[in-house]
Amino acid sequence: MNFEFGRVALVVLFALLPVVGIAFGFFVPALRARGPLLVAFFAGIIPILSLYIPKRFLSGETGMRPRLDQWLIIVAGFALLLGIVNVIQNGTRKVARREKGWPYSVVLLTGLFITGGLGIWGAVSGQGITSLPDGTGTPFKWIADNFFLPLQATIFALLAFFMASAAFRAFRARNTEATILLVAGILVMSGRVPLLEFLAAPFPPLQPAAAGASQALGKLTEWIMQTPNGAAQSGIIIGAALGAASMAIRLILGIEKGYLGLGGGE
Amino acid sequence: MPHVDLGTWIAALLTLFALSFLYKDNPLFRFTESLFAGVSLGYYIGTTLNQTLMPNLITPLAHDFNQNWDLIVPGLLGVILYMRYLPKAGWVSRYAMAIYVAYYIGLDFTRRLHGEVLPQLARAIVPLSHLDAHTIFYSLVFAAGVFSVLIYFFFSKEQDAVTRRVARVGIYFLMVSFGAAFGFTVMGRVALLIGRLNFLILNWIYPLFGIK
Amino acid sequence: MAGFVDKLLNIDRRWLFLLVFIGVALPIIMPIGLPVTTTASTRDAFEFIEGLKPGDAVLISFDYGPSSAPENDPMAEGIMRQCFLRKIHVVICALYPLGGLQLANNSLAKVSAEFPDLKYGEDYVNLGFKDGAQAVMKRMGDDIVGAFPTDVRGTPLAQIPMMKSVRSLRQVGVVVTVATGIIGEYWITQAHPQSGVPVIVGPTAVGAPKYYAYLNAGQAVGMLSGMKGAAEYEKLLAAKYPQLERFYKSTHAFTATKGMDAQTVIHFIIILFIIIGNVATLSQRAARRKAEAR
Repeated sequence: MNFEFGRVALVVLFALLPVVGIAFGFFVPALRARGPLLVAFFAGIIPILSLYIPKRFLSGETGMRPRLDQWLIIVAGFALLLGIVNVIQNGTRKVARREKGWPYSVVLLTGLFITGGLGIWGAVSGQGITSLPDGTGTPFKWIADNFFLPLQATIFALLAFFMASAAFRAFRARNTEATILLVAGILVMSGRVPLLEFLAAPFPPLQPAAAGASQALGKLTEWIMQTPNGAAQSGIIIGAALGAASMAIRLILGIEKGYLGLGGGE
Repeated sequence: MPHVDLGTWIAALLTLFALSFLYKDNPLFRFTESLFAGVSLGYYIGTTLNQTLMPNLITPLAHDFNQNWDLIVPGLLGVILYMRYLPKAGWVSRYAMAIYVAYYIGLDFTRRLHGEVLPQLARAIVPLSHLDAHTIFYSLVFAAGVFSVLIYFFFSKEQDAVTRRVARVGIYFLMVSFGAAFGFTVMGRVALLIGRLNFLILNWIYPLFGIK
Repeated sequence: MAGFVDKLLNIDRRWLFLLVFIGVALPIIMPIGLPVTTTASTRDAFEFIEGLKPGDAVLISFDYGPSSAPENDPMAEGIMRQCFLRKIHVVICALYPLGGLQLANNSLAKVSAEFPDLKYGEDYVNLGFKDGAQAVMKRMGDDIVGAFPTDVRGTPLAQIPMMKSVRSLRQVGVVVTVATGIIGEYWITQAHPQSGVPVIVGPTAVGAPKYYAYLNAGQAVGMLSGMKGAAEYEKLLAAKYPQLERFYKSTHAFTATKGMDAQTVIHFIIILFIIIGNVATLSQRAARRKAEAR
């Protein structure tokens, strides 16, 4: 068996420590909050220190951080599916109690179990979820191509209509700031597409002038995006990044506990 | 003979059912919405199981346990995450959640500093000694923009007469940025609609009526 | 007049929806063929890939889903065509959980069918999807096999000839992240500084404004923003490669260039909506002030 330092250290920190914490936690309720915070400290500090300490035990191929990366890819897979349990619970409760809209819960659960079931079948049978060796698609792929892709695309495509309706009803130049916003929006919308060429299409003599004006508008749009927009986005990125970095330190040090469902007093 | 396969029919009908919401809310749209939610979640299950859990966890453990014995730990941590749904032992899931969240926060910490703060600050330090047209229209405007926006976002101290004026300039830069973002958002949302109508017209209606 | 303005401002929004629907459908049925002009960020991306040598590797990461496929599919497919024509090796992966894998498979199948002399495993490979984007990029920075032990079909990477010379991101010539949302930012702000790999980003139009900051700071070597960016790339490809010029002119499949006609019409409609809405409101306010003055 492979007992590289990295693996053994990770097993000690993230398996043995939690096991001890869970075992004691059944008898000492205070440990139910403190134990996870201690483990969180190590989980958060290893990726940070490995960047600054070029020591083999931490960031080398047999070190802790590379193996921890692989572990957390697996945990992320489990985490992604966490909400599905909640959806199934709510759906089955709605159907069992015949609450308002329960037929739609049947539709939801049917779609979930059929698609998920085909995915599980693909894993268990070794077929996978893409194409079979002869080039034909698996049933999962058929559902994905003909149900999932068009449904996802269309639900989001509805936003285009609501955006247009909002543009007519709500976008008003009420004050200086709103006017600047509207003018910038209109300039960018005009400069990103050949709008002037489109308007000049029925008038051939105007087309060369329209092409020239369109080029100038395009250059103005690029300047707006690179300079004032770039500057504002840069400021937002710097501010948000500093805030997020300080929140990260608070979380790793155990000051921030809300993500574990713990309040200030625990 | 015009031919449209079953899959295209299903995709086209579901598209029309979803678009029917624009006229008014109706059972066909509700059906489509629920189906969308269910199929999406089922898609998550299939993809994660086949693409992450099988090749990264189950296959290595099954084929070469000696090299990969430690992968039992993330497997168990993943399972422990689901203990949050148990009324009495839900607190056990805190260990798995703590490791998961803290690790990604640790990665994010280094990403924010190395990948966001430092490069963006470096870009904002622009030479202003030579006031030619390029410097004025690009460098000066850029530097003024970053500086004023950062002043606007400084909430730790109440703003005085000077910082309030500088913050106002920052607001104007932000409004230009939001206006540009609005313009781009319109482009983005309309592109989705273009894709959908392109499918309906060119991939469904035209083949149905034999139009080339 | 005041009555007309009031009626206009309170118009049933379904008429507006119908106008939008017609504005998009008509250019699809009757294409106009409006010109596309290129921007510096797209040309930079194009020239960067042109600067790679045959045998170099490009990683294309499908970090988007069906909700932005009309914008992002043409970008990914255009870059794949360019790489295949230049005999650049292509590594495909997907990090977006809600549809990235499906779109990667479909785009690769579509484009590889246009190049039947290229071989899977020797000229291109599909690594499939993996959860945990940041951890995946971190691992790929040192060792791709650590994140992707197998390709999309379950073949161990050790058995794939092309991957013998592409062991980590440091052996990749450029990462092209075709992205909606934050995963594109992860490539730029995490993978690039920590492994040094250059990044070209193809964001949706919604996300593009933020990426200008990264482009300005030199964190990305090029950018294709939204459907316009994809149309620009198609134009550059058609100008450089006659076979692609013939392809883009003759294909019945959706291309970004075809979509730009409808984009233009809708932009015109929305700008008109904004102008009419503001003029109507101003005239309503003026009429109210007049009435109050009397």
